[in-house]
Amino acid sequence: MTPQHRWPDGPDETSSELRRALDEASLRGPDDMTLRRGWAAVAEPPEPPRARRGFWFAGGVATTAALVAASALWIRPRLVELAQPANRDKPAAQSEAATPGPRRLTLEGGVEAVLGRSSVMRLEDGAPRVEGGEVRFSVPHRPPGHPFVVRAEGYRVVVVGTRFGVSVDGQSGDRKAVGVDVDEGIVEVWEAATQRRLARLTPGESWQSPDVDAEAPAPPAAVDPAPAPSGPTPTIAAPARDLHRRGKHAASRTLALASPGRGSTTERASGAETPATAEAVAARAALAAGDAPRALQIYRTMAQGTGPSAENAAYEVGKVLNEKLRQPQSAVAAWRRYRAAYPDGILRVEADVSIVETLARTGDADEALSEANEFLRRHPDSERRAEIARLAGDLYRARGDCRNAVATYQITLGASRPRDAVEAATFHRADCLVRLGDGGGVDAARAYLRAYPNGKFRGDAAALASGSAPRP
Amino acid sequence: MNTPGLMRAVPSGVSLSADIEMVTRCRRGDSIAWRGLYDRYAPVVYRFLSAFGVPREEREDACQEVFVAVYRSLSRFRGEARLSTWIYRIAARHAGRTARRRKVRTLLSTLLVREPPPPPTADPSERSERLQLLDEMVGKLSPKKRLVLVLFEIEGVPIEEVAKIAGCPENTAWSRLHYARAELMAMAKRRGR
Repeated sequence: MTPQHRWPDGPDETSSELRRALDEASLRGPDDMTLRRGWAAVAEPPEPPRARRGFWFAGGVATTAALVAASALWIRPRLVELAQPANRDKPAAQSEAATPGPRRLTLEGGVEAVLGRSSVMRLEDGAPRVEGGEVRFSVPHRPPGHPFVVRAEGYRVVVVGTRFGVSVDGQSGDRKAVGVDVDEGIVEVWEAATQRRLARLTPGESWQSPDVDAEAPAPPAAVDPAPAPSGPTPTIAAPARDLHRRGKHAASRTLALASPGRGSTTERASGAETPATAEAVAARAALAAGDAPRALQIYRTMAQGTGPSAENAAYEVGKVLNEKLRQPQSAVAAWRRYRAAYPDGILRVEADVSIVETLARTGDADEALSEANEFLRRHPDSERRAEIARLAGDLYRARGDCRNAVATYQITLGASRPRDAVEAATFHRADCLVRLGDGGGVDAARAYLRAYPNGKFRGDAAALASGSAPRP
Repeated sequence: MNTPGLMRAVPSGVSLSADIEMVTRCRRGDSIAWRGLYDRYAPVVYRFLSAFGVPREEREDACQEVFVAVYRSLSRFRGEARLSTWIYRIAARHAGRTARRRKVRTLLSTLLVREPPPPPTADPSERSERLQLLDEMVGKLSPKKRLVLVLFEIEGVPIEEVAKIAGCPENTAWSRLHYARAELMAMAKRRGR
């Protein structure tokens, strides 16, 4: 039966207040950011549930298969060379004679590799290493947490289900130039020695390792899609035909990763890139058990990976540090690291807000104000704008800068929610105007009383409106 | 009129067959269907957990855990009840379990003379005094009464569904609702004085 009546329906004040409270409760819900963050945590597309009856049988088969595979690996040589050994150190031209056309190979996991006429590729423990020439890969959908890795010189190219090419140019013995270009999906380039991500490529983008004559290896800042033009920084370039698509991809790619259904490419990337939910569950279980250090450790490990779960974990590190371990400064540092790694991440707004609020709470007013102003400048359409503007107004007011406080409260008033922030800003703006000796202050206080007759600041507002409030 | 929360979140046109189809697609690993299910029910679950008294700092995680549990149980959805009823049941069980765990943690903290966990902080987006008072009062109801009251009065779930979620006969659900309302009204009157 659907309720046809309202309870409580009594005419008294208590009943109507209770009714209003119940109505308010039925209207509350998570904000957009909370929903997005939640989706990032559960986005892993479900694997088809397995029948429990076959569990032990499947386990036995898997164990046997693993033993057979292990034996095979033990027996066969550890290094398999796909190109002819004699050709390996020879110039490309000599190799061409031995292999007259492109060679197509199917690797473990259904990965297709097409080797150019002069290409040299080796398998190291099942993972391919491109040693020369160009090899194009077509990688089918990978299970979450199992990216496909191609090594080339000092770099690791990490993919999750895509089509791309890796090329290595240069003479044997020299430092060779590595190039990566992407046809479909998302590819990351990591520096093997430092375990740093150098680039994240979307379709149409390509990456080139630093000039072989340059001294230093690539800096980590190359994550930025627009790296500095000078020095040995690896470059990301897009073919001219795709230039118009690139900006859009760059702006929305992180969001797209967490939102399947936006196209076949991003959808596949999303499904594959999300690391095992088990880790996130373990982290939450650790938190629930009060073991915050353990949760922090799990989140930190997860944050080293790729995809939405890694991004989410990078943010959660700050949250755990702040809320559970009471280390606000470390938390701010963690969120700043998140921002550096995911400048357009889906939790960017959340990270910015957390930084502002934490700095304000720890008394670092200058830094909080600077971050708040940067937030207001950077996020003109954010739903958290009103809150941050109100906080900035309070910070200005606390330092006696009523002029700037009025200006920022004005931003809050321009927003429709949350109601509480608007109410506070209405009152404090009136207060600041009165302090500034502005004749509009009294009118603003009266406007507050009209809008919020039972408001939190009604006493002070009444004093302002009547002109009896003490003035500095 | 009291607009039931469920009716807002779940379009009335959503039939049982649509529920079954969505679950079937999710079982097959259809990420779009899974996203659809999340989009439709995440706000409902979040609101339910808020009303049921899950503290703000645990709410988001709890919501995610409910969805992990939903996914894991998809194979057990037989379509005998509406999907929303089934999800509410999972959410209620989860909320009850975390509440018990919280209680044990607090007790252990006291026994071991450890620093007690910090008191729950008010949600900055829910600073309405009225709402805070309601949460406080609802939190004082017994879990069984609280569940029925939250589902019926806040979520707007029909009583026969409430009974299924609570795992009790319909008459028992009515009875719990009656006592929950009476207790809530008594608390409100005491505070109003």
